Amino acid sequence: MAPFLDYLIYQLSEAGTVAATVASTLSRRFNYDERSAYLFLMPVMAVLVLVAVFPIFYSLYLSFFDLKLTRPHRVPFVWFDNYLTLFADELFWGSVLRTVYFTLISVTAITVLGLLIALLLNETFRGRRFISAMLLVPWAIPYVANALMWKWIYDSGYGALNGALLQMGFIDKYMVWLGDADKTIPLIANAFIWKEVPLAAILLLVTLKSIPDDLYRAAKVDGATLMRRFIHITLPSLRPGFALVFIFETMIAIRHFDLFFILTEGGPADTSHVLAWEIYVETFRNLSFGTGAALAYIMAIVTFFLAYSIIRTVGKRL
Amino acid sequence: MTKDAITKFGRRKFLKYSGAAGVAGSLSGGLAGQVMAAETIHFSAWSAAVDLVKSHVNAFQKSKGLNVNYSNFPWAQYRETMVTRLVGGAPLDMMWVSDAWLPEWAEAGWIKPVDGFKDLMKYNAEAEKFCTDSMTYNGRQYGLTYYTDFMGFMYDADKLKKAGISSPPKTWDDVTQQCLKIKEAGISEYPLMLALAKESWLIEFMAAMVYSQGGRFTDDKGMGAMDSASEGALKALQWVVDAVHKHKIVSPACVETGELTGLKAFASGNHAFALEPKYRMRHLNDPKQSKIAGNVKQILMPKGDGGSHATVGWMRFHGMSAAAAADKRRAANTAKLIEWFGGKADGEYKFQKYLFTDIGAGFGVKPLFNDLDVQKAYNSYTDVNVIKKQQALARKKDMVTPWFGEWQEVNGSAWQSAILQKASPQEALKKVTNTWNKLKKQA
Amino acid sequence: MKNIAHTRNPLSSDKERYRTKSRLSERGRAMFIFVCSVLLLAYLLAPITWLVSSSFQTEAEIVSVPPHWIPEEPTTKNFEAIFFQEQKEVTYESRKQVDPVSGGYIPSTAKNLLPALRNSFVVACLVVIFNLLVGVPAAYAMAKIRFLGRNSSVYFILTTRVIPDIALVVPFFLVIKNLGLLDNILSLVLTYLAVTVPFTVFILISYFESLPDELDKAARVDGCSRFRTMTHVYLPLALPSLVAVVLFTFLTSWNEFLLALMFTQTPASQTVPIIVASFTSDFTISFSFINAAGVVAIIPPIIIAIMFEKYIVSGLTVGAVKG
Repeated sequence: MAPFLDYLIYQLSEAGTVAATVASTLSRRFNYDERSAYLFLMPVMAVLVLVAVFPIFYSLYLSFFDLKLTRPHRVPFVWFDNYLTLFADELFWGSVLRTVYFTLISVTAITVLGLLIALLLNETFRGRRFISAMLLVPWAIPYVANALMWKWIYDSGYGALNGALLQMGFIDKYMVWLGDADKTIPLIANAFIWKEVPLAAILLLVTLKSIPDDLYRAAKVDGATLMRRFIHITLPSLRPGFALVFIFETMIAIRHFDLFFILTEGGPADTSHVLAWEIYVETFRNLSFGTGAALAYIMAIVTFFLAYSIIRTVGKRL
Repeated sequence: MTKDAITKFGRRKFLKYSGAAGVAGSLSGGLAGQVMAAETIHFSAWSAAVDLVKSHVNAFQKSKGLNVNYSNFPWAQYRETMVTRLVGGAPLDMMWVSDAWLPEWAEAGWIKPVDGFKDLMKYNAEAEKFCTDSMTYNGRQYGLTYYTDFMGFMYDADKLKKAGISSPPKTWDDVTQQCLKIKEAGISEYPLMLALAKESWLIEFMAAMVYSQGGRFTDDKGMGAMDSASEGALKALQWVVDAVHKHKIVSPACVETGELTGLKAFASGNHAFALEPKYRMRHLNDPKQSKIAGNVKQILMPKGDGGSHATVGWMRFHGMSAAAAADKRRAANTAKLIEWFGGKADGEYKFQKYLFTDIGAGFGVKPLFNDLDVQKAYNSYTDVNVIKKQQALARKKDMVTPWFGEWQEVNGSAWQSAILQKASPQEALKKVTNTWNKLKKQA
Repeated sequence: MKNIAHTRNPLSSDKERYRTKSRLSERGRAMFIFVCSVLLLAYLLAPITWLVSSSFQTEAEIVSVPPHWIPEEPTTKNFEAIFFQEQKEVTYESRKQVDPVSGGYIPSTAKNLLPALRNSFVVACLVVIFNLLVGVPAAYAMAKIRFLGRNSSVYFILTTRVIPDIALVVPFFLVIKNLGLLDNILSLVLTYLAVTVPFTVFILISYFESLPDELDKAARVDGCSRFRTMTHVYLPLALPSLVAVVLFTFLTSWNEFLLALMFTQTPASQTVPIIVASFTSDFTISFSFINAAGVVAIIPPIIIAIMFEKYIVSGLTVGAVKG
């Protein structure tokens, strides 16, 4: 309850701030410093309010109507019916579960791999610059190109995964990959992880670099082994880095759409039907804008609380 | 302090003016675009016979002096692409539409009837009744036929001979037996090719199997009948599930296989039987395009217990967008283009004929059956008698309603989950029926 | 490291042992790092290498089982189709009379790839410029000026990124449609701005905060306005983070897919991800061509990323510049 109150207070104070910002540029009650600050802030706030805040309230508004594009002449106001229908729909809860599953395995793998890579790159050795540069390659490419690339690799008829496993003798004939319900989400997660690991590695590397050497030297003098130094110095100091990675990657994973669109379109048979895909289908295929807006709003609120709780538990200050 | 005030004011003014200029610039750019658009007919199609369409469009432009902007999209994602564009108000005048979407798009007000254009309606006299009926909704006709076809059952005669099978299957049980024989002989691992990926083709494959098994999707009152054991889709779905898991004559990758991938696999000689649209015979028996050319034959759709050799038929047509219909000049131009494609161009059914000779696509205009070139083409790669017989047994889809799009999402998933054994066929179809009835109530 | 070990150990026999041990562990360490680096490089680059290899294969070769890792008959046909599509007019006589399904078919939208590259580039540049114009003052203000509502502003800006893109789509779509800006790259620029500004501001705030306050005060004493302080004193110092911002913003704009899918209808405004996605069509299944398109799509971002690689880490490093 308390965190929610905190959050509510923040919301209110921030809303109040925006209002005050507008008022103050007109009056001269604040000093020069503060007036400059508000002036500098105005463009950012204008853009964000227009493009981020307004849509959220608009989609809340839309979610109270039963708006179907195939029936444009009748748009009844249904209060919370859209939400109730969603909460009773097993496809919705299935999507939530699938999203959670996808996010969990992705974020875990990304953090672990990112940490390993950051540890490696923290050492000095020849060729480190080259590897740093190559690290950026997966991160730089468009999600769409990434999806196409992995779709081709996973292809059950001619893909590289099948080919490599066959040649190495792990399998004796080509298998179905994306079409196999048990493998679908892990495979999509793999493509996602491959693309996101560089960013995590860099964020962790940056935090690693800021750990002062003295801590390690002192520990070595005290006779601490590598393992102990790692557990008692490195990991705790990395806490802000981990927090950052958790928040970023969780938010990206929850909302991720591109891979699901290109690789499996939510299939086979809803195996990869995650929340982001559900919103797309509901809005642009079923043409039910009311429920689509409701879904989007639910997702926004959930992501919000998730980010807030991660900040509270793992991170300290941003 | 005064210097500050001036520079601050100057900056604000600059921002204000540049902002205004930016907006004005974009608006005027938009307006200019609008003016140009009035002279251009925007034509959206799926990516079939692209070069032929291009050449036909060029001929139209030369003949009528009107500009046409032709864009095409993959058939498998055509409905989604078009829906986004229609909702987004993209410039559209003429577009290809499938019979399955007609109620949906008509109700949403995206396409408008063309029965006000006498030039177009006069072609109905020479068109197949099935086609004209499929383009009619609530008594209004929405376009001219682009092509019509039905789902065929094809087999590779060479493979059957190798396995020692003397005659092609007549029932679905025959299919199972023959597939097992071919599989045992080591000729093909998955003798029957089924393409059941979730795309625009899926409903046609399903419908063909359901109808031939004696089932249907809706009952006489229009309520969902899919899960009815006697009347519904249950037999068909059960047969597929058994084929994949019990007999292993259909690959489990079928839920991932799209119609085109499947066609390519069949043409490469990986399978002995396949469910394919009839027009694919042209591709399959062309030595330049298929490895099994010359061996592919078509037979009547196998029948199930209590079923028949029925199959599903469909048609696609050229439609007019609501935006075009609203403007008299655009509507007149669009009607001219529709006539050029769906009717006669320079006095002959040129497009339909070339479409047939190029890719084998069936036409809905009766006179072309008497055309010598057409007959010669037909005979070169297929048996016209079989085609005539099967065409007579082709049924119109019985689930074409304004909520078809939304229902098909659930239906496709349900079939796939049954095939993946995540749900029993009964459970899957029950869900499908419930969804149908719910959507029907909400409409 | 060896020297340090040397000086730290006063006893000579221990010194001997330690030296040998540290030389062995040096070798072991180097070996370990080498192996890890090779594994990492393979992990990072193998998929891309396969993409490139596939793009140079003919349609017949690309469907080999098992695949040819190195093309035996390499061809540049796919790339030629992208860059040098013939614009000859198609007539009844010159039309291709085969169904596109027979493979090796280059989709007609291939010619849109180059205009899409241009669109992507223009959008990305505009977004970068606006990001800097809008983000730098805001970040400077929030980092260096004490004002009422500062903390809340920071939270507010970061909070807007919590909203998933897909939640923005419908409302924004309707607004843009009413403004008549659909199929206009300005709609993309505006949306991307909202999507990238929070991250920009975040990076810049961190970096600005690590720059000393005294500079600010000194400049003020010399009579600079806040604006001049920002532009003449802090901006030059913040170059690494500015470059990082440019890089992040450029790449985010370049790679964005969902919003571009919704807001662009014709090649006039479509960006590279949309065109490339349109190639995953069924009618073409020219696998080699799709891979070639993929290669073309990834080359510009990779070049930019590698060029500015060293700025990323330094631009993100908080507390790198102290005192």
